Amino acid sequence: MAFSLELLKGNVKIEDCTPLLDDPKYQEKYLKLKDLLKSEEGKKKELKINIENELCDGCGICVTICPVNARYCYSILSGKAPDYPPDTHQLFMVKEGKCELLNIKYCRRLETEGKERECRVCETYCPREALKIEYI
Amino acid sequence: MEMILNTIRLINNDQNVEWNCQDVEFMEEHLAIGFINPLDFKKLYLVPSLKLHISNNHGDVIVNFKQDSKIPEGIILMPVSLWANQVTYVKNNNIIYKNIKVNVEGTRDPPTKLNELIEKIKSDKI
Amino acid sequence: MSEQLKITCSGCSLLCDDIIIIKDDKEIKEILGACQKGINKFNQIKSKNRILSPLYKDKGGLKVLEWDLALNKAIQIIKNAKKPLIYGLSTISCESQILALKIAKKIDAFIDSNSTICQGKFLNIASEMGITTTTLTEIINKSDLIILWGTNIVESIPRLFSKILFSRGKFRMTGREIKNLIIVDIYKTASFKVMGTRDLAIIIRPNEDIELIKILKKAVKGDYTFPNEGISGIDKQDLERFKTFLLNSEHITILPGQALLNQKTNGDAIKELLELVNLLNNIKNNGRISLLMVGGHYNMVGFEHMALSETGKNQSIQFKNGESIKSDDNIISKIQKEDFDLSIIIGTDPISHFPLEISKILSSKPIILIDNKKSGTFLIATLILPTSITGIENKGLAFRLDHVPIQLKKIIEPPSLIQSDYELLQKILDRLNK
Ligand code: SF4
Ligand code: SF4
Ligand code: SF4
Repeated sequence: MAFSLELLKGNVKIEDCTPLLDDPKYQEKYLKLKDLLKSEEGKKKELKINIENELCDGCGICVTICPVNARYCYSILSGKAPDYPPDTHQLFMVKEGKCELLNIKYCRRLETEGKERECRVCETYCPREALKIEYI
Repeated sequence: MEMILNTIRLINNDQNVEWNCQDVEFMEEHLAIGFINPLDFKKLYLVPSLKLHISNNHGDVIVNFKQDSKIPEGIILMPVSLWANQVTYVKNNNIIYKNIKVNVEGTRDPPTKLNELIEKIKSDKI
Repeated sequence: MSEQLKITCSGCSLLCDDIIIIKDDKEIKEILGACQKGINKFNQIKSKNRILSPLYKDKGGLKVLEWDLALNKAIQIIKNAKKPLIYGLSTISCESQILALKIAKKIDAFIDSNSTICQGKFLNIASEMGITTTTLTEIINKSDLIILWGTNIVESIPRLFSKILFSRGKFRMTGREIKNLIIVDIYKTASFKVMGTRDLAIIIRPNEDIELIKILKKAVKGDYTFPNEGISGIDKQDLERFKTFLLNSEHITILPGQALLNQKTNGDAIKELLELVNLLNNIKNNGRISLLMVGGHYNMVGFEHMALSETGKNQSIQFKNGESIKSDDNIISKIQKEDFDLSIIIGTDPISHFPLEISKILSSKPIILIDNKKSGTFLIATLILPTSITGIENKGLAFRLDHVPIQLKKIIEPPSLIQSDYELLQKILDRLNK
């Protein structure tokens, strides 16, 4: 229920609901729902990643877990902070004890035009609930 | 009301940090504090303007409080600090920082000041 | 001219060696990769609470002393004492720890580190029982189950999760997906937020950890069913899952916390937990269960090693006639019995950590404080000798929480006339030898 509410608010996308995607018996409903929401999607909301400076403690979990970071910054694989200056693909970096969003361009949610990939691990695992994925 | 007190470490309520960089007022605000469940808040007949008087047979202290529904009923959490030291004690050559039985009441008195605590340590009266 | 350096943070025992700083000749401009706690450590450099000259307290209050006079004063106080204590030592380099041990030997002192009231007891019982601690690399590469027992590392060692839980490792490229996590605590701490759907959150009633351990011991042996109503506030279902996790995981790492040291119930929670570890190690054909101690101070482990190599004992060492002798005391019992007439406190703040009754006794005798910042102990100390900050203003060796030695670098110059712990302790030792 909470999910559908978020869905209507535009905070999550229909693709975020994994059971709907995985199970073939829901396929029909999924398409129907997608169709219904089309009018909403038509407005094209923009992906924003919001980091609340006050809450963030620079633990670096988002830096480490973001699959894009991991792909382009080798040191992340063994739990170390990425090198500096940052890779052009790198999304997050911890500076002065706070997380900074470098650029959102390569976030998986935007990766391929029109067919966003499911990913919100940075938000899920932030222990301070400082990082939020939003569509505005 | 009888409660169980546990001292904890929090990144924003850490006396090492407070001693490092902050002034006394800031320290008093962040360390003279107890965290309790909202249900205990009701049971203690607290209102936001009151403070907590925490005591047991080792000593007593007055601190601010914050409500946090994650904390189980009957438990009060305090950062490790001079304030919490007023009710911690020694058993078998170990300092007991957790599971301390304390009595907690609301009070109109202000939180204990740092210099009062230091004076308490310096005074001969035990 | 600004330059970029890779350095090690000494903000906590994790000693992150991947911090990048950008600095010029005089000061640090930017710090990348360090957590908030680490940044606080760097903020010490310019803190208004730093001590910048030797101070002596007499009837008129605190007086600034010249270094030469201050050192003489220190020697005089030390020579007058018959039963000195030396305490702290967890936030200085290993080289300085050796000097402190030499001073203790010279003046027949009782020397102890913060470890005594922290993880020390655990380590001692573990080594008696032959249980080993593990290293971060091993956890990163091999662990498939991490158990946090009564410790909230998001608050105490902020970057530990990103290193051991979220890193991918060599053999388990998928990282988080394959590592499971169990957290046992009395409430949902910030650490619980990193849990995924497969992880197991155990909320236990305070003081009942030992019951859970005992029941798990029975359960892993096989011939036991959990009571339907659960125990200590934990559902039967969760108990079953706990057992399955323990039996089906290969490399388990347990991070025990203070909560286990402070159990009021009969029996010893630490011993019980370690017995469970031994039991599992016997049952399992492959893999192993090990411990990682999560003490806070950056070189607490270093003292254990230095003391062991210098004296054969890792903590609570009593010297007599220049030899270490057998003693069952620790720093708390020494103070409680008033078996001392001077305390030399190095790099720590006992007044802010000890119960009131102990602080009162400690403050009734002279205190020499060697530290770089003001603290509760500063407010009652007799003689205060300031030092520079190791890992920022002077170099030195430290041991990470998993017992791996790491060299800390000197990054910038200390304030004028401020020397390192090493230089200061060397001077005291030289003057004592004269
Ligand atoms: S949602 Fe985007 S930013 Fe967050 S982890 Fe996934 S790819 Fe990285
Ligand atoms: S995971 Fe959250 S708290 Fe940690 S660095 Fe990222 S935003 Fe900050
Ligand atoms: S986790 Fe500890 S060592 Fe690492 S950056 Fe933070 S304070 Fe420094």
